[in-house]
Amino acid sequence: MRNVFVVIRREYIYRVRNRWFIVGTLALPAAILGVIALSAMSEARRSNRDRVLPIIDHSGVLYDLVAGRLPSSFEPERVATTPEALEEVAERARERTISGYLVLDAETLTSGKATFHGDHAPRTLTRIRMQQAVVRSALQVRLSATDSGAQVEDLLSGGEIDFESVSDEAPEEGAREIGMAVGFAGAMVLYMVILIYGMMVMRSVLEEKTSRVVEVIISSVRPWELMLGKILGVGAVALTQVGIWALAVTLLLTVGLPYLIAFRPELANASELLQYLPAVGGLVIFVAFFILGYLLFSSLYAAVAAMCSTEEEAQQTQFPVTLLVMIPIFFMSSIMEDPNSTLSTVLSLVPFFSPIVMLPRYLGGAPLWQVGLSMVFMVITIGGVAWVAGRIYRVGILMQGKRPTLPELWRWVKEAG
Amino acid sequence: MDMTSDTAIQLEGVTKRFGEHTAVRDLHMSIPRGCIYGLLGPNGSGKTTTLRMIMGILHPDEGVVRLLGGDPDDIRQKRVGYLPEERGVYRKMKVLEQLEFMGEIRGLARKEAARRAGDWLDRLGLGDWKEKKVEDLSKGMQQKVQFIATVIHDPELLILDEPFSGLDPINQDVLEDIVREFHRRGTTILFSTHLMAQAEQLCEYVCLISQAEKVLDGALKDLKAQEREGVVAVKFDGSDAWLAGPEVASIEKVDRGVHLLLHEGGDHQAILRRGVESGAVIHHFELVEPSLHEIFIRHAGGDAVGDAGLPRDLQRAEAVS
Repeated sequence: MRNVFVVIRREYIYRVRNRWFIVGTLALPAAILGVIALSAMSEARRSNRDRVLPIIDHSGVLYDLVAGRLPSSFEPERVATTPEALEEVAERARERTISGYLVLDAETLTSGKATFHGDHAPRTLTRIRMQQAVVRSALQVRLSATDSGAQVEDLLSGGEIDFESVSDEAPEEGAREIGMAVGFAGAMVLYMVILIYGMMVMRSVLEEKTSRVVEVIISSVRPWELMLGKILGVGAVALTQVGIWALAVTLLLTVGLPYLIAFRPELANASELLQYLPAVGGLVIFVAFFILGYLLFSSLYAAVAAMCSTEEEAQQTQFPVTLLVMIPIFFMSSIMEDPNSTLSTVLSLVPFFSPIVMLPRYLGGAPLWQVGLSMVFMVITIGGVAWVAGRIYRVGILMQGKRPTLPELWRWVKEAG
Repeated sequence: MDMTSDTAIQLEGVTKRFGEHTAVRDLHMSIPRGCIYGLLGPNGSGKTTTLRMIMGILHPDEGVVRLLGGDPDDIRQKRVGYLPEERGVYRKMKVLEQLEFMGEIRGLARKEAARRAGDWLDRLGLGDWKEKKVEDLSKGMQQKVQFIATVIHDPELLILDEPFSGLDPINQDVLEDIVREFHRRGTTILFSTHLMAQAEQLCEYVCLISQAEKVLDGALKDLKAQEREGVVAVKFDGSDAWLAGPEVASIEKVDRGVHLLLHEGGDHQAILRRGVESGAVIHHFELVEPSLHEIFIRHAGGDAVGDAGLPRDLQRAEAVS
């Protein structure tokens, strides 16, 4: 066992100190931080000129409603309808101390039309926000004539489609959609990490084999110790990276997101994401499926590398394994469409597909017993795969030359005693 | 035949085949403890295959390999140092860390491994390279690093596959000195080489193999004694037609004159008579102690030794083609 730890330690330290590991690990949090910072900065740099929006209300009833509906990134300013005041605001626009001003009139109440006077047309997003504020305000004025204020307010703020299940076991639908979205993101991360680190195991085995270091190592370390140490060492590197990512994303979203929302109130909806991030259940399942998936595929990749003598050979031979990792991705849209369909359920119970399919299904409301069952299947499969892969590895790493045919491979498995 | 306690390595009837090709055929070898033992032969004669079987990298199809009178797997783990022919190193690892790792898997504590690695690096003039990546070192330096990795755990048994190839003469001498030093401390050293002259300086025992089979083996001085009647040094003027005859296996040109390698039981006086009769002027005719090279040619024939004098790289290129 001591040898396993020595191998783990070498593998871990050597890889964690690698420049690309450090770059890769920092890239994701840095990218998120960058988006937040850029977004906050652009908001902070928005000058008064863009913020201040003088409004001339010829209708006489719209100003308060419109001003109240504009997002907080605008500073509405009431302009009196006297000729002097109108001349003054037009002058400010010409001198470009403001980017423009909005004119509401009687026609606004009937057709929702308003006019923006400025040196250039407002940006699309700005225009949509002004348009929404104006149209809803006009509707409110028109509807208030017949209906109560509260009803109009509810109607205008969008209404809602409630869901009522017709079966007993359907999940709470409110959580489903956003859960699936988070699950999809998680599945993609799992897919990426399993592939990257599975291949890292493959390259690591191949490096020892092609450089013949393995001939020296193997006289002192038993093949299973070397293979196990390598898989665990690289796995620890992967967990380190995923851990740093998870921590960074959590920090950025719990600390960074509220900060961002303060600047960009229109992103307030994004804070709904927060309730899913620290969800312990999801996190545990993510980590569990990462570990299981990684153990399964890294054993296969180690066996692939042991069969090959060159990088090119390995690139060809690894294809079936990589395909096995990728298959769930081809089905991802149907799984997202209905995470509890027969197809989704069957796929998620196939051990080679479970790691990637089960997380979105779980977050989309799949029953826990299915999650547990898929894990049991996986553990059994890992046992079998590791046994076969270990035997292939043991014979293969000291074998140079031609890649074995399938019957030869079978003989390796049988004869490695 | 039981292995006695003074035998470090014993091979009994070891055979290894690769498909149709037999790499080693029915090889018996007995390597006494504490000696320097040379495994000699041209390329493709089966030296590396033999060493790999001793190291458990290959399994013999027939026969038995015994090591230090115990379970070979256990002994290989901590008590043997093996330098393979293909120099294997972790190219991207730092020199000192690589050696620490190699020491650790042989059972040393990390600190102890680091201390020994440091001493060895200083001694071999690599003290300033400890924190450099192995790939930044020259080939010769990498070879030294690998040699340190082989001996860092102070093994009882050193198995070196062509340890001198690729080193310049100065470093060959350095390595020879270290090998002798291990020998003085009682380490058993088995090494393969195709350079007969080198083996002659260093070995107490040799085993000559050619085309997968042993030609002869034994203590070097015994072999030489047995072969005393086998080589004649001749200096002469005139035609050289008289040199060839039924007694003569091979004629080697040396500095001034020739060495005649005789067949087993060849009568040297018959050659001398033939020379006198042919009218050649013979200045010098003497039985001399044969070199290892000459012994090898006498027993395996000139063809068997073939390319033994060629540089390693050229030989490899030929072996591939």
